[in-house]
Amino acid sequence: MKETIICRCEEVSLEDIVNTANTHNCSAREIKLRTRAGMGYCGGRTCRPAVNAVLEDLTGEKAGHNVPLKVQPPVRPVTLSVLGGNRNGH
Amino acid sequence: MLDVVIIGAGPAGLSAAIACRESDLDVLVIDEFPKPGGRLLGQLHQEPTGEWWNGIKETEILLNRANTLNTKIECGVSCHHIEKTETGYLVHTSQELYKTKKLLIATGAAETAAPIPGWTLPGVMSIGAAQVMTNVHRVKVGNKGIVAGVNVLSAAIARELQIAGIDLHSMALPVKNTVTKDHAHPEKVMEGLVRIAHLAPSPFLRFGSKFAQSSKVRDLATKFYPKGGFKMWGMPIHVRKAITQINGTDKVESVTMCDVTPEGDVIPGTEEIINVDFVCIAGGLYPLSELASVIGCPFRYLEELGGHVPVHNEQMETPVEGLYVAGNITGIESAKVARAQGAVAGYAIANEPERLKQAMQAVKKIREAASIQFHPQIKAGRAKIHRAYQEYV
Repeated sequence: MKETIICRCEEVSLEDIVNTANTHNCSAREIKLRTRAGMGYCGGRTCRPAVNAVLEDLTGEKAGHNVPLKVQPPVRPVTLSVLGGNRNGH
Repeated sequence: MLDVVIIGAGPAGLSAAIACRESDLDVLVIDEFPKPGGRLLGQLHQEPTGEWWNGIKETEILLNRANTLNTKIECGVSCHHIEKTETGYLVHTSQELYKTKKLLIATGAAETAAPIPGWTLPGVMSIGAAQVMTNVHRVKVGNKGIVAGVNVLSAAIARELQIAGIDLHSMALPVKNTVTKDHAHPEKVMEGLVRIAHLAPSPFLRFGSKFAQSSKVRDLATKFYPKGGFKMWGMPIHVRKAITQINGTDKVESVTMCDVTPEGDVIPGTEEIINVDFVCIAGGLYPLSELASVIGCPFRYLEELGGHVPVHNEQMETPVEGLYVAGNITGIESAKVARAQGAVAGYAIANEPERLKQAMQAVKKIREAASIQFHPQIKAGRAKIHRAYQEYV
């Protein structure tokens, strides 16, 4: 049986996330930071609901009405020059 | 300083822009897709009345009206951050930094992935991507495919792929895991299937759908679901079979399908290999609300509306001053509802009370008449989010 990839940008599998949760017995946020699930190029666009579901299942942390795992800008992949306002190389 | 920036040139964003331009507001619409229209562009289906809903034509109608009113629409522009200021908003995009007094977020919905082993292989795509490639880009997505995920959206798009001459083997469930949960649970999927059965051409299925309104009968129907699946438009729909793995070395070559129990657990020894060259994953839609979250708008988690939704009232106003929302970001419904909500937001922004009242009534009427309901409790969900708004005023 092949592994189930959860975050494809960072190639994090369901097994990686489960192992991290078991080894460190930590919060959803810490698991995310340790595995980098949802932190790749797409900014979680593809896997955010999947990462949320797995982390909620493992940690029992319910996000409730707050959006889980805080959304950070930039919410789209952009170049550093766009962020720095220096896109013409000046 | 602009009067209003509208993020998203879909049915909600465009109709809002039209409403604002009628009052001569200085409006800018931005969208990251190269063409305006949003997901409306991909839609093509026959309504139960026999009438065809052609998203490209509907988009043209909106665009013609917007162009007549000299509406500025910038495509291929992504908004990656928004800051609230004393006087309005700073909208950071891949092109420019825009300053605006008011802001409408009409970013629609995104698709939920259903991760199954092998889903990162080339040839696996979301059902929505298959729709866009087929109906917008006119690219044939493959020769023979299979759909993993049985719901309102996947059934409608599977039909569109069929109309485009693409061969689909069948629709089946994704294998059960922590993420796929309800999408992999035959009894829960049956509940959803019952809601779309009236769209099927088969009188038998329509007949069956009446019985299946009762949960007891539905559970029996799930238990004794035919091995060959029920056919919709000649294509088998399986709720007692799941795709457990997608196979291939460099691209999709086949899938492994297994029988499952009424709870979705794989029955060992039932594996069957089906040769396909593409797989569509259909995990449903969720409101795309990252930008509202970045601004600090309060949210409610409402399953009826498809997930986390920014708090707003019937005028599509959020508790954050000058921030409005419309379309699927406020809950998963049809493009017709989104378009009507856009008009509400537009008239609210333009402060046109008479037209606003009419637009709000139109939303209710369209919702009543909807042939496809993404969630049966949509009205209850709407009532909850509008009540939540009261807590902030």
